Parts: sequence; C-alpha cells; structure tokens
Amino acid sequence: MSAALLVDTLRDPASVGGLDATGWNHLIAAARAERLIGTLAHRLAGIAVPSPVTPILADAVRDADREARQALWEADRCVDALRGTGVPTILLKGTAYVAAGLRAGQGRFIGDLDILVPRDAMPVAEKAMMAAGWEWVKPDPYDDAYYRQWMHELPPLIHRERDRMIDVHHTVLPLTARQTPDAAAMIADAVQITDGLYILSPEDRIIHSAAHMLADGDLQGGLRNLWDIYCLLPDVDPAALEARATRHGLLLHVRQAQRLAAAIYGDGARLTLWDRLVRARLLARNGWGQEVRKLLVFGFYVRSHWLRMPPMMLARHLWTKWRKGHRPQ
Amino acid sequence: MRHDLTLRIGPATFRIGSAWAGPIDQLARLYAAYPQVEGAIADFTVRLQPTSLARRWVRPSIFITGDHGLADAAPMSLSHGLLAAEMGMNLQMALGWRRHLLLHASSVEKDGRVLVMTGESGSGKSTLAALLGERGWRFMGDEFALLDLDSGAILPFPRLVSLKNRAIDVVEDAVGDVRMGPMLRATAKGDIRHMVPRADAVARMDEGGKPALLLFPRFGPDTDIRAVGQGEIFMRLTQASTNYVALGEPGFAALTRFVQSVPARAIDFPSGEAAFEMVDRLWGEVA
Amino acid sequence: MGITGYYRLDARDATHACLLDDLVLLYHPRSGQTHMVISPVPEILDQMCIDERVSAADLHDRLAQRFDLGPRAAALPEIAAHLDALVALGLVRPA
Repeated sequence: MSAALLVDTLRDPASVGGLDATGWNHLIAAARAERLIGTLAHRLAGIAVPSPVTPILADAVRDADREARQALWEADRCVDALRGTGVPTILLKGTAYVAAGLRAGQGRFIGDLDILVPRDAMPVAEKAMMAAGWEWVKPDPYDDAYYRQWMHELPPLIHRERDRMIDVHHTVLPLTARQTPDAAAMIADAVQITDGLYILSPEDRIIHSAAHMLADGDLQGGLRNLWDIYCLLPDVDPAALEARATRHGLLLHVRQAQRLAAAIYGDGARLTLWDRLVRARLLARNGWGQEVRKLLVFGFYVRSHWLRMPPMMLARHLWTKWRKGHRPQ
Repeated sequence: MRHDLTLRIGPATFRIGSAWAGPIDQLARLYAAYPQVEGAIADFTVRLQPTSLARRWVRPSIFITGDHGLADAAPMSLSHGLLAAEMGMNLQMALGWRRHLLLHASSVEKDGRVLVMTGESGSGKSTLAALLGERGWRFMGDEFALLDLDSGAILPFPRLVSLKNRAIDVVEDAVGDVRMGPMLRATAKGDIRHMVPRADAVARMDEGGKPALLLFPRFGPDTDIRAVGQGEIFMRLTQASTNYVALGEPGFAALTRFVQSVPARAIDFPSGEAAFEMVDRLWGEVA
Repeated sequence: MGITGYYRLDARDATHACLLDDLVLLYHPRSGQTHMVISPVPEILDQMCIDERVSAADLHDRLAQRFDLGPRAAALPEIAAHLDALVALGLVRPA
C-alpha cells in the first residue's frame, strides 16, 4: 500500500535509503494523490535520493513556495476588502499556518482561502467581498439554498480577476452536525499575527482541524489533515487542549485525532476498533495513487453526510447530487 | 493497474498504467524507437482507468487521470485508447511540468536554430511541423515547445504527432503507412491519426536550439504576412502557456527575453506549398 | 480615496518592469501577477517613493514638472482614478 509507504517516509525520512525505483514511483504517486508531495520534499531535504527524484522534489518545493505566496496575497486582498467594515480577517487551515510560519505550513498544499467571520457580520462581509470582485462560483439555486440553510459557510466565492476561491465560514461545522463548537469563543480568542491578520489560538487550531477531519469530512485529504494535527500538537499544553475541546463538545474527536496522529506519524498509540477503520480508510491507496477498498471509502462518504444531516435530508441531498451526475470517487 | 509502460519523451518520463491491454500495446509499437526506460523512476504517472467497475467490460469507457487530472474530464471510448494515453501524457505536462516554460507550440530546427509556431488548434502548426520535418528540418515537437529558463533555448518534446481530419491524408502521402498509427474515427476532435517522428527527431530529442523565428500560422483562404507587436506576442504566448503563472518570476524573465529577442510574424496560408515558401523566405530574411 | 485621499507605495509591493514596444509589463512578485500598463501609469509609479504618503495633487505637481498634463482640473481626477485602480490591484496602498 503506497499510502503506508508515504506515512512511513514522513515519520522516518531516512528510510528512503532502502527504496528501489518501483518504491519511489509508489511513494511519489501517493504523495501527489494525498497532496503531501511538498511536505515530503521538505522532510527529505538533505537526504540522498536518486538523481531523477531530485528535480521532482525541487519542483514540489517551488510549487509549495508559490502557493504559500499566493495564499498570503489572497489573505492580503481579503484584509483590503474588509477594510473599514470592522470585520477581522481570521485565517483558517493552510493559509493560517503559512502566515504564522508554523511547521504545519512547510510545503503544505493550499487550495482556497478559508476565513472565519462572526455570524452576525456575515452580511457585511459578503457585501464587502462582492464589492471587491468576488462572485458566486455557480449560481445553482439548490446548492445555494442548501449552503445557506445548513452549512457552516457561504457558498464558495471566486475572484473574477484572480480566479482564486474563498470560503467564508461562520462556524466550524455545519449547523446540521451533532456537535456545536463555540465559534464565538474561537473568534474571541483568535491571535493577531500581523497587521490585520489573525489565526485561531493554538488549542483551537487543533480542535478545528480535528473537527474538520473527523466530524465533517469523508476523510478525503485526511492524511494531510492529520499531518497538520501532528505538527500542531507540540504547541499546546495537553490539559489546556482537553479543557478547550470539552468546551467545544469535541473531546472525543480531538482524542481520536491525537491517537491517530501518534499511530500514523509518531511513536504509536493504542487504537480502538473504530480508530483502526479510520486508519484503514486513510491508508487506502495503491502504488498508482488510486483509492482502493471502494466500499470502505463509500462507507465514509455516506457517513460524512449522515453526520452532518438527518437521514431524510441526506437521501434528498444525495439524490439531487446523483441526478446531476456526481458520484463519490 | 494491469498493464503498464514507461516512456521517456525529451526531458520527461511517464509511467502509464491501463486497465486494458490495447492502449499499452499500441503505445509500445509506436514508441518502439524511443529510449527504453522500463522500470525507471518516472516524473509522472498516467492512469487509464474504467469510469466505473462495470465499464471495464461493458461499452468500456476510459477515464484519463494520473498525478494531475481534471475531475470533469469527459470519458473516452476504448477504441480511442491511444489518443487517451497521449492526452493523459499531455495533461501531466500541461498541469505539472515546471522545469521549462511550456509553450503550446510546434517547433522545428535547422543549423541549431529553431522555428517556433503557435496558434489555436486547427491553425495548421502541427501539420506544418510534421511536413517540415520531412523536408530538411529536424522535427522537435507538435504540441509543446519547452523554453529553457536559464539559457533561453527551445528544447524538443517530440511525442507522436497528432494529425486531424484533412491533415491525415496529406502527411500519410509524405511519410508512408509504416510510420502511421491506427485511424481513430469520430473522436471529439474528428478523425485522428498519429505519426511517428523521423528517427533523427527521436535520436536528438535531448538537443535544444536557439529560437530564431516565431510564427503565428493560420490555415485559410488568404495569403498574408504581418508583423506582430511585442505586447500582442506576449499576450498570445501567456495564453499559449499552461505554466507561465506557476513558474513565477523566472517565467516572466524567460518569456520577456524571448519576446524581445525573437522576430515574429503572423502568416496566413492556403496550402502547404504556400506555407513552405513563406517559411523559407522569412527564415532567410528575418530569422 | 480619490483626489482627497492619500496613497503609499509599500516596499513589499515592488514590481519588475519590462518595456515591450509602447507598453510596460509589471511583474509583481508578491501576488505572482503580471500587469500590462501604458502611460501614465508607469510614470505615476516612478514618482512614488517607498512609504511616502502622497496625494493625487502631490503626484500631479511632480509629473507636471516633466510632462505636459494639460489643465489641472482635468488631469487631477484622472491621476486619482489611476491610483484607485492601482489600489484595487494591490500595487499601491491607501495611506
């Protein structure tokens, strides 16, 4: 399994000394599929690799540098758009890690800009973003109503000139999810890092990432999320993290994330049966970078929606999606 | 993947996996003269996989993906498997190549100097490059010209030439049947047939040259040669490059140097003969 | 902003310029964007110093020493409009 090879390499970079060409092909395919190639390249810095691998890793480092630069520029544009509204720019996920120079940001793939905005400031923020050139990605009435009624963010916006997306969140999980983290507390405790840019407190960064991975998503990109968590954990006091997670109603998720991070990237941990299923899902990738164990993957896709929505709503949602030709991969 | 092949074209190595034998067998035949790199560490992985489990056997349709893919790429019929493999390789280059500025252009070389031709699909740039490659020029590529960021040289990417519709007969007459791939009828772009470049194009595929002339060819009823302003050239080349933005400042430096140093003309031509005559004349006068 | 506002050039927004015939390309490393501009935009940027707080009127007066700008009443709003466009691109900051 190539995903297992990938996590073994991230844990112990020197182990690549034993790889043959096939092993390298599997490792590179898995790292690209999991969007961890930049992280892998940083981990392998200073370690001898075969000559065809050197330019592949150099490209990955350059791509990650460019993505970081562009992400910071989008953050800058967001601050500029919100100038005068009194709404702070609170960065989430990749852009936050890069802006704060955290280890989790090294080589990290960054897609969209994610920001957290107080719920009552959403209309002001939305108006300011539109005035600064962002527009709706797809004017689909069903998706729009779905997002506004049930999700934890505005429908995605894209900037008409720069072609970059922004997700404006007002809380951490969809309103339909069973856990209800205290977004207002996260906003109140956000930390200022530069003029105009804020990130979540060290504890909330981990809690947000764990919630995103385990309570919200279908574990797509889970290995990268878990790498983030693994890199963020040394920054917090374990007791403070537990107290904060309890307050957000996410203690079980945070504990599971800690176990999985230790088991996959760290010194190991005792895993429950459910942890083992999640780990199997996270490592379900073959030497060509393809997802395997389709039933397990599909199981998690259904689960991710079930966690977010009551069952009848789920049925309606999947039906609407499938009629439009969407299928879980 | 059940079937696979590793190919090197110019500076890039591809590991191509397929759920079916057909596309791999066709690639193996047409790329037989290329460097044998079985088992090498590849720059890119390409996958030709069924759109769903049942689609491996029932009305098989190929989903083209790999390290880099498009979620909404339209599936292709298995009978067009060779085209799917070529598109898969192009997709990896277009989305993932970072070691040169990638220009969507054809190129041919003579005396160490390179003629670069760029234009929309249907402009005739592929056919022109293929035919010039049979008439004393060295064929360097019909799809991508690679601009070296440091030296400013154009490097070859001589994959199979993809010929469409009317161009098929013209080139077939010039090169003979042995160097032609299977006829792929009724693809999304019409009929397509691939041509194997001449042996010298493959043997010298690591050898670049200094760009000496840029042409914007257009196949049509008129005959015309026009100068093109540097601003327009820059715009058109950024539109013809899939990695200009990704390369950042080195891409800007390389492309502006190219625009400032390489003479350029737009040419309209009604026939191959007219085009050859214009190319010869401009090569003598401008390049 | 406009003719009553102030503007500033941030050191981090420095661009690399390249002249192609009669237009100027500005590469902005911070955003990775290439901007294509024509006169008087390059001339306006040339008159701005890093971190100096200037108004459209200040820039008008500096430019008028070197170029024939025509009547001040017409040129001033034009310069302010260019500055606001540069702010929208992120090349110039409000001050």
